[in-house]
Amino acid sequence: MTVLPILKSATLAAVLFASTAVFASAKDVTISVWSGGSGPNDNYRTDAFDIAADILEREAAIRGEQLNIIVQKTPYSGWEDFKQALTLAAEAKKAPNIVATGHEDIGPWAQAGLIVPVENFVDLDSWPISDIYPNLMEITSFNGAVYGIPQDAESRPMFFWKPYMKAIGYTDADIEALPAKVEKGEYTLKNVLEDAKKMQDKGLVQAGYGFYPRNSNGPDYWQFYTSFGGVMEEEGKLVFDKAAMKRTYQYFADLVKAGVTKKNHIGMPGDQWWKEVATGKAGIWHGGTWHYARLVNQEGLKNFFDNVQFTLIPAGEGGKANTLTHPLAYLLMAGHTDEETRIAADLIKIASEPRINALHAIKSAHLGISPSETKVDLYAGDRWASEATERLLPHANAMPNNADFGKYWTIMWKNLEASWTGAKTVDAAINDAETELKSTLGAAIIIR
Amino acid sequence: MRTSRTLGLVMIAPAAIMIFLFFLMPVMLTAIFAMTNMSTATGISGGAWQVTQGAINRLKTDMPELATGIAEPRFVIDEEGLAALEGLKLKAGFTTELRASHMGEVFPSRREAERVIKALKDRPSTREVKQISDLFNRSVLNTRFETRDDLMASLKKLGFTLTPAEQETVSKATYTGWVWTAENFRILANSPDMAQIFLNTAFYVSVTLLLFNVTYALFLAITTHYMPASTASVFRAIWLLPRITPVVIYVLLWKWLTWDSGFISMFMGQFGYPPKNYLLDSAYNAWFFVILINGFIGASMGMLVFSSAIKAIPQTQFHASEVDGASRWQQVRHIILPQLRWPILFVTCYQTLSLLASFNEILLSTRGGPGKATEVWSLAAFHTALNNYTGNLEYGLGAAMALVLVVVGIVLSLIYLRIFRYDTLISKPLIED
Repeated sequence: MTVLPILKSATLAAVLFASTAVFASAKDVTISVWSGGSGPNDNYRTDAFDIAADILEREAAIRGEQLNIIVQKTPYSGWEDFKQALTLAAEAKKAPNIVATGHEDIGPWAQAGLIVPVENFVDLDSWPISDIYPNLMEITSFNGAVYGIPQDAESRPMFFWKPYMKAIGYTDADIEALPAKVEKGEYTLKNVLEDAKKMQDKGLVQAGYGFYPRNSNGPDYWQFYTSFGGVMEEEGKLVFDKAAMKRTYQYFADLVKAGVTKKNHIGMPGDQWWKEVATGKAGIWHGGTWHYARLVNQEGLKNFFDNVQFTLIPAGEGGKANTLTHPLAYLLMAGHTDEETRIAADLIKIASEPRINALHAIKSAHLGISPSETKVDLYAGDRWASEATERLLPHANAMPNNADFGKYWTIMWKNLEASWTGAKTVDAAINDAETELKSTLGAAIIIR
Repeated sequence: MRTSRTLGLVMIAPAAIMIFLFFLMPVMLTAIFAMTNMSTATGISGGAWQVTQGAINRLKTDMPELATGIAEPRFVIDEEGLAALEGLKLKAGFTTELRASHMGEVFPSRREAERVIKALKDRPSTREVKQISDLFNRSVLNTRFETRDDLMASLKKLGFTLTPAEQETVSKATYTGWVWTAENFRILANSPDMAQIFLNTAFYVSVTLLLFNVTYALFLAITTHYMPASTASVFRAIWLLPRITPVVIYVLLWKWLTWDSGFISMFMGQFGYPPKNYLLDSAYNAWFFVILINGFIGASMGMLVFSSAIKAIPQTQFHASEVDGASRWQQVRHIILPQLRWPILFVTCYQTLSLLASFNEILLSTRGGPGKATEVWSLAAFHTALNNYTGNLEYGLGAAMALVLVVVGIVLSLIYLRIFRYDTLISKPLIED
C-alpha cells in the first residue's frame, strides 16, 4: 500500500524533471533593438536582425540547441527624442539590448556605464569583424576598448546643380574636373560663395537659394571648421582653434551678407528643404551620401547624375578640402544577463556580414564597412556607392569620441547660429564661445 | 471644538498630500539635482571607479609614478591565474597547456593574450576565451570597479600601497559618477547666454501678460458684457477656440499661415513679394508670432474669469448709474474695475506663473529660434536637461535652471500679493470660533 504512492510520486517527479529538461533546451530570448536617425530608407539598421536571428537559430539547431529569438525593433526617425528616450530608459534599467547610434555617444555612455564593450563578447579576430576597415573600428573605440561595431559609413559631399553651373559659364569638362579641383584646393569655399552669387544675379535661383546649407544642427558644420584649418581633438584633448572657428562663423555671416544664404535658414521645415533641393530650387548645397537615396527614392529626382555633381567640402583659408564620416555603431547596452548580451553580440556579428550590411548600404546610400562588402554584386553594381566611396571616403575625418565633445558641440553650434542669424556679431560669438568653453570644460579643452 | 479642528485636518489631508507629492517633492528633488554635476556621462544612479586614459592624464601631475605604472594593459600567464582557471572547472587541457607552453609570458594587450588562448589545442569557445583572459589580467586599466575599495585592493595587488590622501586623489580622478557642486549656479550667473535668455523670458512674460492675458482679456470681457447675450456667447466661443484646440494643431495652423509656402507668403506674392518664412524671418517676427500664439490662448482664460466676475456685479448698480447719467467709460472706471481687483490679481498671478513655466507653444512653433532669439528660460531648461541634438543631457544644470524659475515664481507671487493688497481683499470672519 505504501509502495504505490511513493512509486506514483516518483514517476510524477521524473516526468516533471524530464519535461523541464526539454523546456530548458528550448530557449525563448527577446532581443530589443533601437536605432536613431532612421528614416524609411534605413529600415535594414533594425531589419538586419531578423535575418541574423534566423541564421543564429539555425546554427543553434545544428549544435542541437533549440533557440528561439524574438527581435523587437524600435526605429526613431530623429535624434533628440531618440537620445532622450534611450538615456532615460537606460537610467530606469529598461534599456534595449542593442542600439544603433552615432559613434560620438560612446564616450559619455561608456563613462556612465550604460554600454558594455563589445570586445568583451566577440572575438575581434574573427570574420567579419576582422575585415571591417581599421579606421572605422578606431572610431568605435574609446579608452582603448572596442565598444561598438560600425554599422555604416558615409561621407558628406558638397552638391552642385549642373544646369546652373553651365548657365554661369562652366563647360561640361569643367564640371567633370570640379571634384579634382576641389581636392587640390583650387576651388575653394570662396568660389562657392561667388558662384552662388552669380547664379542669383543671373536669376537662376531666388535670393537666399544660391548656397543652401543643412537646415539644422549636424556634424556637417564641423567640416567647415576643418576647411578653415580647425582641429577638433589632439591627443585626447578637445581643441578650440579661435582663428579657425572665427573664419567659419565669418563665412556663414558673409553668405548671409551676400544674400546667397537665408538669414533664417536654420529651423526651416525639413520637408520643404528636401523638396527644394530635389527640384533645382537651390544652386549649391551640402549633405550626406544618404541624400542620394532620399532624393531619388522619395523626392522623385530621377536623373541624378545628369543634374548633380558632388565633391568634397572645398578648402577655406588655412585649411584643406575634407569630408566627415559619421558612422553609426551597434552598441551593447548594460543591464542584461550575460546570456542575452552574448546572443545580442552574436547577432551584431552576423548583421555585419558583407551581404547583409550591403542591403542597408545600398538601400540607404550609405557606404560599406568592409572591403569585401564592396565586392558584393549589389554594392559593386551601384554607381553612387562606388563613386562616392572612391571620391570621398579617403578624405574623411570623424568627430572625436570624447565624453565632453557634446558640450563643446552645443556651445559651438549655439554661437554659429547666433552669428549666422545676426543675433551676435562674429567677434561676440567667438568671445562668448570661449568664455563658456572655459567655464564648462576648463582644462579639458585647449583654447588657442 | 477639538473634533471640528481634527475634522478640518482630515478634510485638508488629501490636498496636503497632493501638494507634498506634486509640488514640494519635485521642488525638493530639483533642488537636490541642482547641487550636482549630473549629466548623461555621469549617469543618475551613481558611478564606478575606472582607470581610463583621461583619469591617467589627470593623475600625471600629482602622482606621475602611479600614472605610468598603471597606464598600460598587461596580461601575465602566472600561477595565480592558472589556479583560478582550475577553479572554473573548464577543460583540464587549458590549464595544462598554458602551464607547459606559456608560463610567465606577458602580453601588452588583451587581444594578444586572447590569440594565444584561442590557439589552445582544446579550442575554447569565444565565451571561454573571455573568461580565461580575465583571470590573467594584471592591470587595472579600463576595468570598472563598483566600489572604491575594490579599486584600492587591485592597486595594492599591483604593488601600489597608497596613503589615505593619495587614495583620495586616485578616487577623485577615477570616479565616473556625479559629485556635489555649486558650479551650476556659477555658470548661470556668468554666462552671457543665460543673461540673454533671462531677458527674453522677462520680455515674453511681461508683454504677453500685459497686452493679452490681462488687458485684452479685460477688453473682451467688458465689450461682451455690453453686447446682447446671444452675440456675446458667440464672441466668447470664438475666443475660446485657441484654448480648446489641441496645441499641436493650433500651432500647426499658425505655421501654415507663416511658412514660406503659407498663406501670408501666398498673399504677399500677389503684390510681388518673394515668399519667405514670416515666422522665423527675424527675431522681431518670431517674437511677434510667439506672443500672438500665446496671447490668444491666454486671453480666453482672463475673458472667462472677468466675464463671470462682471456678471456677479448686481445689475442694480448699472441701472442706478445709468439713472445718474453715467457714461459707459464711467461705469467701467467706477463700477467694473474696482470690483475686478480680486480676479485681476488672480489672473495676473496665475498667468505669470503659467507663462514662466510653459514652453510648449514656443517649442512647437520656433523651437527657440531663429538663433535662440525666442529661447525662454523654461525651454532652455528643457533643452539643457532633457532634449538636445547632441544627446548631452545636463540634468544638474537643467535642474538649477528650473530652481531659478521656482524662486522667481514665488518672489513674483509675493510681490503681486503686496501690490494688490491681498490682506484687504479677504475680510475677517464676523463670527469667531
